[in-house]
Amino acid sequence: MQFRLEKKLQPSKKMLFATPVLAVFLTMILGAMVFTTLGFDGLSAVREIFLTPIINSLKWQDLAVKAAPLIIIGVGLSIGYRANVWNIGAEGQYIVGGLAATGVALLTHDLSGWWLLPLMGIAGALGGMAWVFVPAFLRTKLKVNEILTTLMLTYVAVQLLNFLIFGPWKSPTSYGQPQTVLFNSDQILPYIIPGTIVQAGAPIAVLIAILAWIIMSRSVFGFQVKTVGSAPNAARYGGFSENKTIWLTLLIGGALAGFAGMLEVAGPFNRMVPQFPSGYGFTAIIVAFLGRLHPIGVLFAGIVLAITFVGGEVAQTTIGLPNAAVGLFQAMMLFLLLAGDVLVRYNIKIVRAKR
Amino acid sequence: MNVDLTIAIIITMVGASTPLLFAALGELVVEKSGVLNLGVEGMMLTGAVVGFAVTYTSGNPWLGIGAAAIAGASVSMIFAFLTLSLSANQVATGLALTIFGAGFSALFGKPFTGKPIDIFGSVFPPALSEHPYLRVFFDYSPLVYFSLFMVFAIWWFLQKTRAGLILRAVGENDHSAHSIGYSVLGVRYGAIAFGGAMAGIGGSCFPLILTPQWVEGLTGGRGWIALALVVFAAWRPGRLLAGAYLFGLIATMELYAKAAGGAFRIIPSELWASLPYLATIIVLVLISLRHKISSSAPACLGKPFIPN
Repeated sequence: MQFRLEKKLQPSKKMLFATPVLAVFLTMILGAMVFTTLGFDGLSAVREIFLTPIINSLKWQDLAVKAAPLIIIGVGLSIGYRANVWNIGAEGQYIVGGLAATGVALLTHDLSGWWLLPLMGIAGALGGMAWVFVPAFLRTKLKVNEILTTLMLTYVAVQLLNFLIFGPWKSPTSYGQPQTVLFNSDQILPYIIPGTIVQAGAPIAVLIAILAWIIMSRSVFGFQVKTVGSAPNAARYGGFSENKTIWLTLLIGGALAGFAGMLEVAGPFNRMVPQFPSGYGFTAIIVAFLGRLHPIGVLFAGIVLAITFVGGEVAQTTIGLPNAAVGLFQAMMLFLLLAGDVLVRYNIKIVRAKR
Repeated sequence: MNVDLTIAIIITMVGASTPLLFAALGELVVEKSGVLNLGVEGMMLTGAVVGFAVTYTSGNPWLGIGAAAIAGASVSMIFAFLTLSLSANQVATGLALTIFGAGFSALFGKPFTGKPIDIFGSVFPPALSEHPYLRVFFDYSPLVYFSLFMVFAIWWFLQKTRAGLILRAVGENDHSAHSIGYSVLGVRYGAIAFGGAMAGIGGSCFPLILTPQWVEGLTGGRGWIALALVVFAAWRPGRLLAGAYLFGLIATMELYAKAAGGAFRIIPSELWASLPYLATIIVLVLISLRHKISSSAPACLGKPFIPN
């Protein structure tokens, strides 16, 4: 027995929404099976990773903290991916955004005022944009593939971080620890729900997703991005500049990743540390795809991926599952989602072997 | 510069280049068949951890290399099934494969972290491998000679054999190849499996000949540099060899620049560590300035093929 793919006239809307949900459920089933064969308690692993963070209300604040950067970076990436612009170095832009915000914080360390945080936010966004500037320039002027350049610069960003915190930015009072001084109280994000660890990052993330949704669905820019991505010839005929789209989408992606970096360094970290590159920029790629490159979808996908992170920490303490297992679950989810794409675009016909 | 130092530089350079060379050669064949597999880094990590684990438990590096090849080929089949049979997006699936390989290797490698193995070094008698001059030819791991052999073998396969011609035809014009009766998907499955095996072997070079232990993320982005090398080499095995050795030289320059002292001392080690990645970008720029990449790239690169 064989199967054959036949292209649908229209991509199936129903499947477009159903497949991400299906992928998450299949990941749970397949994950339980895989981890049981690997010698772990597969069922408990799935329960702790996917259900405990939802059921246990004490974990909700952790979810909000983890989901915020994933959503913000994911929204930025999804706009680029819509236009077939493959920025996969958001991790680097996130790091440099965090560094730029740290730079401002160190320069203004003796000052106080409400304006410090907005200034750090702008610095973060500019830092992320600066890091994506070279890939954007090379892609538009010389047609250099942005996949490789954005990724290469991520490795350079890690080195830049190390150089700064092992060198000029090292705190004199940290007993040789490679980290900067603690930010002052006006440089730290306010807590929005008293008694929890939820800072201003979470509502900002929701706001950014909604804003991006309005822009993508109601503005000429949104239409331009979608046209350049899905019908480049029509876009050219309609007078949409491809290069301008590449510039804008890359800069937006860089700005949002950099801004997320600022929210992290001024939020949970309160200072720059070597552990700052936490892989959010890479996980946000999965978030963008799982959210179907739609800002509201990304919002939900960000929460799903945050669940796996928080659940991974739970599973580590309760059943001793190594933290790396989470990465495997996340990759599995992306594989299953991509496999599910076939249902969106094709009809599967079973063909019996001819004699 | 004295002779001893030059020989030492050559030997380090060749060692550092070998994983890149394996992975890039495999990807070259994959791309020649019209498929872009961005999962090289993930397949290398898989090969590195499996190669280490098998070598550590069995004590036999040959078994480790074989297992690494099988592991690399196995994970590449996930990519092949999704992109070929289900015609999924190749860029996204390749990324997923890299994320998968990173997660798998971190999980699988956990119990092996910090355990030592012996370097899989030269098998020649000390009279040759430790000779002050002749060691420039003999002081290498068998993996190094194998990688050089593969450069030739792949060139010969692509240019001189019928099977190589079919593979190139599939990459240049899939529909024509299909209409004269060749199995486009079959050829591409084979190419991807070969690319996976080569990336797996390339990954196993890290624990076997460079740093004899397993650390998470051991390959440090070399899989991505391998992808850039294929473009740099304009899809030609001979040029790939030159490119890989150039990168090996850049990656090992820090050691010798530091030893040379003087002005080199003030360059922070972080800048040296960034050099291979910056060099990759510079190289990509140089190629695009010199000639149109699109003219030498396989015509069907990255496009899905649906038989009808």
